[in-house]
Amino acid sequence: MMFTRFTDRSRRCVEAAFDEARMLGHDSIGDEDLLLGILRTDEGIAAEALSSLGVTLEGAREESEEMLSYALSSIGISLEEVRREAGDAFEMRIPEGRRIPFSPQAKKALVEARRGMRRMRDNYLGTEHILLGILGNADGMAVRMLAGMGISPETLEDRLFELRGRAAG
Amino acid sequence: MNEKTKTRVGGPEDPGEGLEAVVALRRTLEALEAAQVENAFVAGWSWAKIAEVLGVSKQAVHKKHARRIRARYPGEPPGRKGA
Repeated sequence: MMFTRFTDRSRRCVEAAFDEARMLGHDSIGDEDLLLGILRTDEGIAAEALSSLGVTLEGAREESEEMLSYALSSIGISLEEVRREAGDAFEMRIPEGRRIPFSPQAKKALVEARRGMRRMRDNYLGTEHILLGILGNADGMAVRMLAGMGISPETLEDRLFELRGRAAG
Repeated sequence: MNEKTKTRVGGPEDPGEGLEAVVALRRTLEALEAAQVENAFVAGWSWAKIAEVLGVSKQAVHKKHARRIRARYPGEPPGRKGA
């Protein structure tokens, strides 16, 4: 089962990721949404590592929209103009009742999280494992989103292990 | 074709970027359709008329949009008078 050994916090983080994806109009949960989920849950060393490097939920949401806007502009479409044209009714939100699947990237991150848990000989799957799973995919949206915010996976990993070491002893 | 023209006319040269543009467009299209159907509904258009302009069946429009829009405008929406 995909969520075996997940801590309560990790489960909440995944739920929050679904919420964030829905809000941003993502028709699948990407690894960047898992990152948003960690930020939104705002507990544990993964969230602490992110916030200590200046990554905020608001900032990450903005970066996500920025990436959408950039992708549209590459084919000559201005998100701003679409928004203006459509008026107040325009919102990217996915309507309730429509199911959102995990993207292959997000699944990969969760598989990688479990691998990290085993490697670190932990018996629980915490948000720190999820974050490491996300960071393991250099081509993922989350890593690129963080790069856009000036954060490298290495910096974040180092901070994570530093906090983990401190918590342990 | 020089490099500059190629970039502009052919779209992104990186296939990954090209595919990501498709995803972005699909998500934006969904949001735009939802907004314009809502706008038409608020302006008093019937489902039949909205469906006709979109070129799909009335059932299809209703199934996709009615629940969301009705939830937002319980009773009659503000601009919808005697539609």
